[in-house]
Amino acid sequence: MSPILQGLITIIIGVGGCVGYFFASNWVLDKVIFPPRTDDHGRNINRATMVRPWLFLFPAMFALGLYLVYPVVGSFWRSLFNRSGEEFIGLGNYTTMFAEEGFRTAVFNNILWAIFVPAAATFLGLLVAQLTDKLKWGNIAKSLIFMPMAISFVGASLIWKFVYANDPDIGIINAVRDVLGADPIDPLQIPFWNNFFLMVILVWIQTGFAMVILSAALRGIPEETIEAAIIDGANPFQIFFKIKVPQIMGTIVVVWTTITILVLKVFDIVYAMTGGNFDTEILPSYMMDYMFRDDGRATAVAFVIMIIVLPVMVWNIRQARKEMN
Amino acid sequence: MFPTPIEKRPRSAQLSYQAFLPLALILWLLPLIAVANFSIKPEADFVNGNYWGMPSSFEMFSNYGRVFFESNMPRYLLNSLFITVPTVIGAVALSAMAGFALGVYRFKGNLFIFFMFIAGNFVPFQILMVPVRDLTIDLNLYDTKTGLILFHIAFQTGFCTLFMRNFIRALPFPLIEAARVEGVAEWRIFWYVVLPLMKPALAALAVLIFTFIWNDYFWAVVLTQGPGAQPVTAGITEFNSQFRAAYHLMSAGSIVAALPPVAMFFLMQKHFIAGLTLGAVK
Repeated sequence: MSPILQGLITIIIGVGGCVGYFFASNWVLDKVIFPPRTDDHGRNINRATMVRPWLFLFPAMFALGLYLVYPVVGSFWRSLFNRSGEEFIGLGNYTTMFAEEGFRTAVFNNILWAIFVPAAATFLGLLVAQLTDKLKWGNIAKSLIFMPMAISFVGASLIWKFVYANDPDIGIINAVRDVLGADPIDPLQIPFWNNFFLMVILVWIQTGFAMVILSAALRGIPEETIEAAIIDGANPFQIFFKIKVPQIMGTIVVVWTTITILVLKVFDIVYAMTGGNFDTEILPSYMMDYMFRDDGRATAVAFVIMIIVLPVMVWNIRQARKEMN
Repeated sequence: MFPTPIEKRPRSAQLSYQAFLPLALILWLLPLIAVANFSIKPEADFVNGNYWGMPSSFEMFSNYGRVFFESNMPRYLLNSLFITVPTVIGAVALSAMAGFALGVYRFKGNLFIFFMFIAGNFVPFQILMVPVRDLTIDLNLYDTKTGLILFHIAFQTGFCTLFMRNFIRALPFPLIEAARVEGVAEWRIFWYVVLPLMKPALAALAVLIFTFIWNDYFWAVVLTQGPGAQPVTAGITEFNSQFRAAYHLMSAGSIVAALPPVAMFFLMQKHFIAGLTLGAVK
């Protein structure tokens, strides 16, 4: 049982450390550095108030700085060097990369992913949220649809390997084709469309997410607006598209952007399913190809991903700022 | 409410709707059902070509037993546990404090730091990979659980702080002011007033982070390499090469690897969904 004991001790030390840090730093601030006892205790209280937020913030900011700010800068810097990291080659990694066929395929596929996956997942999520709303066992249905969300991308990919397996005895798709009398195919080797077969896995996972958020939003719609529309003789589709959807548009956009950002990071599925072969490469998996071989190239790809994500990020910060005013 | 509730529609419409929904559900879960079915079949079924029918005998114990006793699976599972639990605790503790500072205090730089946390939330993790790997090697933490934990805590703190800050902002502020007027020390306000009110957020966040970390594959591959420290997401690939073409065992392994977060989800569904909703809408 020694690893369990070890784990427990780590946890106790960790939690104790946090509590201790938090208690001790506040105590030192109040009693030692700015004690409110001396002649200018009013000023000391004010000073302590100014410092205190930084005590609470320090550990998180330190962690964020060490593992986030430094690496972003470090990555860019590294991408200006050659494979071994000794020779400065400026934008050399970028120019060779842009000239490469594989990179362009990856960008093209990535665009497909960024369009298809959020659209399909949001659409299906909205559909399910609407169809199961107010249904007696709708909650069970929702839980089941949501379940894939809890499985890791690799786990889901392994499960979907059984769907796409080219052996008609194992693969579900080929089993169906077999029954219909068609020859077995390898779905993952069909050019162009194999990308979509991989996207389906992510849609399968993310639909649950979209559904949960959108179903909460649908419940928040004031009932009167719908009643009024019914009295005015609106048909079901009008009610859905002209009354409900506009009212939850904000949430739809949030879901859409959240999934878009996720899509730009996902590499597990491609990596586990095809390893980027058969023209299914996307940028994150393209990067993994270079990861252990050429750090300069890998960081250059990473920076391209960063630049693609940047507009979405800026837009999100703007949104947050708007909410505050 | 789609125009008329389905209960008030004609009987035929109701019936077809009720038949359609389970059908769609089964189709949706077919990949999972197939794998679950494979995982309890005896090996002989695959030799005899009985792939899709009922298992000729239920070999649940022997299949899962082999997963647990003849492979590194238990180690991977334990590794995952020892990586996930400390990360959850660390990230939640750090972000509760940072969220408290950002949500309660007004000070110069508050907004700037808050935006930095939002930005950190969106940074694609690929860009961190090479420097973080080098940093981990420099700190002598490569291929250790500690290295993974430290990194995960740091990386998750961005999202968690954002989440906590928004939650604390929504708390009734007069409560904190009243405590201040009474002369309660700030750390006591945090500990006795704010933390108890944050329980739902803490639970939601903990469940969410648990699944995030458990399911992480990228950093597991980047920062670890052997059964000594690798979590189950990375271990499952090794497991699959060990049992290549033994479909019943591969399926059982996939199920075992996926089970903890799925179980967590079903047990803590309320918190999980609350977490997602709070995290996304705000």
